Amino acid sequence: MIRGLVIPKELGEAIEVRLLQWYKAEGDHVAADEALLEFETDKAIVLVTAKQAGALRRCFFAAGDWMKPGDVAAWLSDEPDEPLPAERSAPAEALLVTFDTT
Amino acid sequence: MSRLFFREALGRAMAEEMDRDPRVILLGQDIAAHGGSYAETRGLFERFGPSRVRNTPVAEAATVGLAAGAAAAGLRPLAFITYLDFVMLGLDALVNYAAKLRFKSAGQLTAPMVVKATAGAKGQGPTHAQSLEPWLMNVPGLTVLAPSTAGDAYGLLKTALRAPGPVVFVDHKKLFPRGGEVPDKEELIPVGSAAVRREGRHLTLVSHSYMSVLALEAAEMLAAEGIEAEVIDLRSLWPIDWETLAASARRTGHALFVEEGQVVCGVGAELAFGLRERVPNLRVDRLGARRAPVAPSPVLEAFTIPDAQGIARSARRLLAKATQEEGDR
Repeated sequence: MIRGLVIPKELGEAIEVRLLQWYKAEGDHVAADEALLEFETDKAIVLVTAKQAGALRRCFFAAGDWMKPGDVAAWLSDEPDEPLPAERSAPAEALLVTFDTT
Repeated sequence: MSRLFFREALGRAMAEEMDRDPRVILLGQDIAAHGGSYAETRGLFERFGPSRVRNTPVAEAATVGLAAGAAAAGLRPLAFITYLDFVMLGLDALVNYAAKLRFKSAGQLTAPMVVKATAGAKGQGPTHAQSLEPWLMNVPGLTVLAPSTAGDAYGLLKTALRAPGPVVFVDHKKLFPRGGEVPDKEELIPVGSAAVRREGRHLTLVSHSYMSVLALEAAEMLAAEGIEAEVIDLRSLWPIDWETLAASARRTGHALFVEEGQVVCGVGAELAFGLRERVPNLRVDRLGARRAPVAPSPVLEAFTIPDAQGIARSARRLLAKATQEEGDR
């Protein structure tokens, strides 16, 4: 199954956020409890950690890019060779993640 | 252009001006190691040291007084007052001392200081959410600046830090969660220069600070109905860019003034009077807060202050009234 890494909407009043860094690259295996990416709101730095395993297949944003809450930042898949949808807007189940704010 | 958070645009302006002029110092609550209430001074304490980035106690009257005295003695202080409401405590030093110093000394002394304060309603209730800009516009000798974008915050704060006399720099809580384009090369925005954010021929929407964001949203709604609103962001509340305002008002014949604070003796009242002198047949209306303090309840807060739908509604009403009056004639 293809899963979307969704930028959370539960970030208080954040309207835009900036991607600081990926901890994984396209093609990498991601284990549960591994850090995926870090982004910045106007007030805080947010670390996103996967709560389920998968393969990071496609990143839609690079470090320095601006994203909005609700944006799908990446696709992961349960199996590393599952075919990806042709359209970026294709619906995908949300990946389970946790957020740590500093 | 680079996209920066609003706080980063402020931070860059301060850092550049502190590099340029050793007389620029910062005074305020939690601005040193903590990096500011909105993280806008992050890194400045580490870079410029404790003599130029100074924490002050929770004592706004003392902070503004210190800034005014330091300015008269030759420094260029920037005093942070967390909420515009608290500028009330510093009004004596700001109005009676700093704003009048040039007049009282026949130009021999000046107080080149900036008071930066954050206005606006965002859940803080009646004493931490006011928009009191007209109080300050009323004072001879004060310059009042109010950006609505990160780029303008950068350009206007730099201008404020070079101004010959006291400046109040008013930003807004709801501008901080946004990013905006900031020029990569140094760029100052002169005082008294409004920005036309959107062109239109049917009416002129005039606002400042966060209300300019909402005015643009309202203009989108109106455009869908075939009403083309010109949106002017004042940026400088005193001095006022009468030229830009009058040119637009002459073309559209209708002006709606929108502000988050009270309309009685408000920004719109002043602008409507001044513009009617310049554009005699101009039809005007104004929109602002209901005559009540900003409520702490989110529902009542939203009811008290204008929103984009309300701005669009007022614009339609102004145009409809004009059409009806023309029909009656």
